[in-house]
Amino acid sequence: MKTKKGYRLRQLGKEYILVAEGLEVMGANQMISMNETAAFLWEAVEGKTFDTEALAKLLVDEYGISMEVAEKDVTALLQTWNKAGVIED
Amino acid sequence: MKKTYRVAGHKFAVVMPDNDAAWNEMGPYEPFVCVDASDCLFTAELLDAMPDTSDKQKVTVSCEGPDMPRIELYEWRGQWLMEMAPLLEAPVRAYLLTDKTFYEAKFRILGSIRFSLGTSLMLMFAFATARKNTLLMHSSVTVKDGKGYLFLGKSGTGKSTHSQLWINNIEGCSLLNDDNPVLRVMEDGEVHVFGSPWSGKTPCYQNIEVPVGAIVNLRQAKKNTIRRMSLVEAYAAMYVSFSGYRFIKEMADGLHATNEKVVGTVPCYALDCLPDAEAAWLCYKTVSQ
Repeated sequence: MKTKKGYRLRQLGKEYILVAEGLEVMGANQMISMNETAAFLWEAVEGKTFDTEALAKLLVDEYGISMEVAEKDVTALLQTWNKAGVIED
Repeated sequence: MKKTYRVAGHKFAVVMPDNDAAWNEMGPYEPFVCVDASDCLFTAELLDAMPDTSDKQKVTVSCEGPDMPRIELYEWRGQWLMEMAPLLEAPVRAYLLTDKTFYEAKFRILGSIRFSLGTSLMLMFAFATARKNTLLMHSSVTVKDGKGYLFLGKSGTGKSTHSQLWINNIEGCSLLNDDNPVLRVMEDGEVHVFGSPWSGKTPCYQNIEVPVGAIVNLRQAKKNTIRRMSLVEAYAAMYVSFSGYRFIKEMADGLHATNEKVVGTVPCYALDCLPDAEAAWLCYKTVSQ
């Protein structure tokens, strides 16, 4: 899967939001609030093709958690992203 | 003839033939006339004919509702071309051609002079100031005790009505602008609100500047309640209350930086309300603390 074009990650104080800014998503007026982990992953894979395993590996490397926990977290996050329509196959 | 105007501290010049009827529609701009014509952010010149732009490339169309203006954006020979209509389904009534730095614009009037002039100059103002800590807002603003209170909300929510409720019920309130005030983050970090020559249907064109007391996002409801918004909520409420082409990266970056400073500085509230005096009192008592 990959991230959809037109979304831009913005930092707001200590928080992060993904904003629909591009022509591809114009009129969506969409904003998705993200925690630090989600923002870290988005930034790492923005514009690239990735899978659950690749994201989980990033989490393992960055936060030193087990692959099992990482995969669980990533699966939940990808469901959220899918629902919000910010990633595509 | 060329005249210079200063809105929220930003200067721009309008160039039109001496005896053109459009000068008669510049009444709302009179309070903003500026003698010193140096350092203009942009110049807008009236054309009596447009160049042949038939090889233009469509970029996007924007319209916020059936009763709102429609703006078609094209790219033409390295410039932006905007074709504007007063309503979603109406024919094009004005053209605006500008270089991509929004420094030199030409416009052409077909229908209502006021619509063409107002829309062209507002767009130019919003674009030219987007990277200068400035936001051209869609809001009604009331002043009380030297501070400006901005009411936000979708069209038809009752922003103007809420301003009127303050003015009619709370002593010492006055309307600063009813539709398009300008917010600016000043050099010392304080956020100020300015009147402008654009005020929707209410003729209220005041060259006045006051610090912002609070920003209030309105929503119609069956009872009156108010609460402080989180940073993200305030950012989102503001985001839909000012315009700009976000796909132009420098513009989006400028607007984001200003919005971030505004919501980080000014207290922002969400008011669910009826159109009654109690709503005005609840709001005033909460936000003026």
